[in-house]
Amino acid sequence: MMNTPQLDHPLTGPFWKAAARQELQVTWCGACNHAVWYPRANCPDCGDPLHWRALSGEGLLASWCEVAAGLNPNFPTAYTCALVSPVEAPHIRIVMQLANSPAEKALSCDMPGRVRFIPLQQAAGEPYLAPAFEPYHDDDTACDKQLAPG
Amino acid sequence: MTRRSLQSIARAAVVPDGGTSVALDDIAGAAAITGIGETAVSGPSGREPRQMALEAIAAAIADAGLQPADIDGLMVSGHIADQVTADDFRRHFGTRRPLWFSTDGGAMIWAGTCGHTAATAMLAGKATHIVNVFAVDWASRRAAGTGTPGDWHAGEALKAHLEVPMGWYPQPVYFATFARRYMHEYGLTEEQLATIPLTFRRHANGHPGAVMGGRKLTLEDYLNRPPLAGPLRREDCCLISDGAAAWVMSPTERARDMPQVPAIIDGVGHGRIAGAPYISQQRDMTATPQVFAAPWAYAMANTSPSEIDVIAVYDCFSSTALMQIEDLGFCRKGDGGSFIQDNRLHHTRPRQEGGIPCNTHGGLLSHSYLLGASHVVELVKQLRGSAANPVTDARRAVYAGFTADESSTLILRRGR
Repeated sequence: MMNTPQLDHPLTGPFWKAAARQELQVTWCGACNHAVWYPRANCPDCGDPLHWRALSGEGLLASWCEVAAGLNPNFPTAYTCALVSPVEAPHIRIVMQLANSPAEKALSCDMPGRVRFIPLQQAAGEPYLAPAFEPYHDDDTACDKQLAPG
Repeated sequence: MTRRSLQSIARAAVVPDGGTSVALDDIAGAAAITGIGETAVSGPSGREPRQMALEAIAAAIADAGLQPADIDGLMVSGHIADQVTADDFRRHFGTRRPLWFSTDGGAMIWAGTCGHTAATAMLAGKATHIVNVFAVDWASRRAAGTGTPGDWHAGEALKAHLEVPMGWYPQPVYFATFARRYMHEYGLTEEQLATIPLTFRRHANGHPGAVMGGRKLTLEDYLNRPPLAGPLRREDCCLISDGAAAWVMSPTERARDMPQVPAIIDGVGHGRIAGAPYISQQRDMTATPQVFAAPWAYAMANTSPSEIDVIAVYDCFSSTALMQIEDLGFCRKGDGGSFIQDNRLHHTRPRQEGGIPCNTHGGLLSHSYLLGASHVVELVKQLRGSAANPVTDARRAVYAGFTADESSTLILRRGR
């Protein structure tokens, strides 16, 4: 089953429109001043309407999974999937892929890093820009360097 | 019989934050499993689910010493595969009587909660002998390219839009992500985790008809296998199978005059995470919703983990089984990796020797993927003393059902 992002979807389209301009956005309750994820119309705590808010892209690697080639028919080659908790909203987790190969550098839970945007393409369908987690490593000297997509 | 109030059960059933326990009325001791039936289990077989279901139902009715015309209730899955209807039942067995019918039956969590639903129907006078059945042909469907167990997840809108496009799919990826976090928090090693698939395989090796019955598995074999969804290997993931299982539930006072040793339904629990069904957001990735279900079931049954002799846990993945053993209260959270060593889950190590025999038929990992229906049938056999891998003098049994965002708990007690 193939599911490419639907930019016109009322609940999830804004996330992907933001990603297309390399911005990470989540739904936010202004009254409670916290993120609500996944997106929905109203805050489950206070009932106020939610709005989309841009995040810095910095976060922690809550956990990850190395997916072997062939397990997921949408992404036939091996890749690494991650759950990322943004610094502004440590209680939520955003699903994304890892920006670089984990074989090069060891991963560990709760390691800090930042989101950059990489093109993903499923076995069928057009490529799209998606957030991907890039861990900071001790030898990184320019972790805030602007990286071009791809 | 005096029944406990919801308030008194709720006071006794302390559940942690991050989810809720469904408020189930006290039905302790009202009903019992009086008959069990199974088809052969297999890989792709071309068998039709409805035919398999009817075969399992016929076996369960005969096992209970009843005739099809004695059955006045039918419970099936409302969610999975192509299940039988009341008309299918009447046509196949040539009966005419109306059937109380419920789609809150089947397997997964419903293999546990159907005991509560059925007992409630009996207490309300809606039915006397109720059959619960579950059939699945996912092995055949997957081989034919007409369906996979991931279909529901890929079809749910927010998962389809925010998980599938990132590659967080199918289920092995979810549970590998949680297993990795568990390893990080509690130091679980791959060798410790291997105990789950290795023990369940040994059980399957001793259980006639188990899909992996003839295939041995050593620790060396396991460690040499590549990750499928790291840290999980294929041996950590459930089979995909064809087959069916069914059981008859009857009022306990009737069960006393029926041929089989009754498995009395003493407690049922049902819990779910906050924010269900989105497991990526569950508060504790290292626990299952069993933490919200088990306390209610123990409170209803007025029992505790120390009084349980044998368990069957929903083992879609080895790590999920490990977490549910903890979440049922058999050891502290995080101690599971060391707790399950030294044959503690094997049928030859009973409670009085410090064990807690688990998935003695081989589970979803090595018996078959009947989504928990075979687990309940196996527990009934243990209480009757007729299991292929027997647990000595098993008097109380617990089934832990699971759908990822929800869990159920079913406590059974030997009736004679």
